[in-house]
Amino acid sequence: MGFWQRVSQLDRRWIYLAVALAVIFPLLVPMKMKLGITPEARQLYEAIEALPDSSVVMLTFDYYPSTVAETRPMSIAALHQMFRKNLKVITMTTIPLGGPSIADRTMREMAELYHKTYGVDYVNLGFKANYTAVLLGMGSSIESIYPSDQYGTPLAKLPLMQTVKNYDQISFIFIVADNGIVDNWISIVNAQFSKPMGAGVTAVMAPKFYSYVQAKQMTGLLGGMKGAAEYEMLVNKPAMALIGMDSQSMAHLLIIGFVIAGNVAYFMTRKKKESNG
Amino acid sequence: MKTKLPIAIAFLSGLAMVAVFILNPEKVGDMEGELLQWTTVIGGFTLLLGVVSIVRVNWRPVVRRETGWLNNAALILSVAVMAIPSVLPVSWSPLFGTDGGSIYDWFFINLSAPMMATMFAMLAFYVASAAFRAFRARNAEATLLLVTATIVMLWRVPVGEGLFVAINPRLPNLINTYVMGGVNVAVQRGIIIGAALGAAATSLRIMLGIERTYMGKT
Repeated sequence: MGFWQRVSQLDRRWIYLAVALAVIFPLLVPMKMKLGITPEARQLYEAIEALPDSSVVMLTFDYYPSTVAETRPMSIAALHQMFRKNLKVITMTTIPLGGPSIADRTMREMAELYHKTYGVDYVNLGFKANYTAVLLGMGSSIESIYPSDQYGTPLAKLPLMQTVKNYDQISFIFIVADNGIVDNWISIVNAQFSKPMGAGVTAVMAPKFYSYVQAKQMTGLLGGMKGAAEYEMLVNKPAMALIGMDSQSMAHLLIIGFVIAGNVAYFMTRKKKESNG
Repeated sequence: MKTKLPIAIAFLSGLAMVAVFILNPEKVGDMEGELLQWTTVIGGFTLLLGVVSIVRVNWRPVVRRETGWLNNAALILSVAVMAIPSVLPVSWSPLFGTDGGSIYDWFFINLSAPMMATMFAMLAFYVASAAFRAFRARNAEATLLLVTATIVMLWRVPVGEGLFVAINPRLPNLINTYVMGGVNVAVQRGIIIGAALGAAATSLRIMLGIERTYMGKT
């Protein structure tokens, strides 16, 4: 058996081992490579920076625990910026499994860090089923969709919600999602209520939303862990996403290496088969 | 009647929402709000229906001791352990409900979330293996896809970005503008418009009773 044939029949366990090493090694020995910031991430950051202090913003936690490596750093970086600017934050989720827990935990951690008071500086609406109805219904009355918050407190008893009745009082919507809900935010909330919004999404979803950014239906976009790392740099709070970029660099290089090796082996073995008749 | 009534409800509900969207809200009142509240309530019942359904489907193999019944039993036990304490009133005990420190929260943070993250992370291994075995430049289209994918993969990480900057400092921005904001957007727009037309057509089919799969019929 020739060299290239052996390469083409490489046991997949070697591939798995190489991936594991490529991911783990940079976490142990950080490379701290320089990262550029895309215009889409900068636009999102600047849109929130431009809001007057004490404006009300909505931050969504529309993601499952499976993608927290990419999405949660976006939520945290966004909250750094929002709380630093003294914005009032309303959070919600359209994800039943995990969404409420992730939102609750993240909001508590960040509120404690910035000494924010629940009900006054931020409110967690929690989850409600049937997202189309939820997004549409909040345009007329948030209270009709969420009579009470995540913890069962009636909205009327929360000082922040006494001034926020529907989207009219919300200045910006920051969607963090790992699924197609972003389309609904755009087609329902942006298109029908003209609400400015930006999104942080997983890397596989990001290409789709470039068209919305170009059409100015979205102010900005964060794509995957790189988008999260860019936002961490913008808010000057380097954390998990920036650390993770080293691993992602190595994993991408490795996959490209595998693609090249796989193709070379394929063409070399095919050439040999053809020459053998 | 079993078919006609759901079709009539679907038709009238769809028509009402379309009418509210087009007509002046002052003339139709808060009909939209009312209908959306109904939808949210029905959505809540569907979650309950899902729990009942998953328990029913898995209960039978456990009772009959069918092959793999232990997996079914584990699933029912997991549903019970996560769901029951989460719906009990917090006033009875801080361990109930879904707040931090509750039974639900503990299981979610320490079991459910890591398991879901693990499943998703395993994709990296499969992607690497598939890239090695299946991503071949067999023809012009596949080669174009392969080259574009390689460029984007490099551009999305600092090491690749550094490489492009070393070749030409404007290269990362050019990729963003012409690959992501150019070719990619053109294709995505086509897909989005196609999907929207498909959704509109499906909605119309449901309203007119042509599409009946939601009733369990073809």
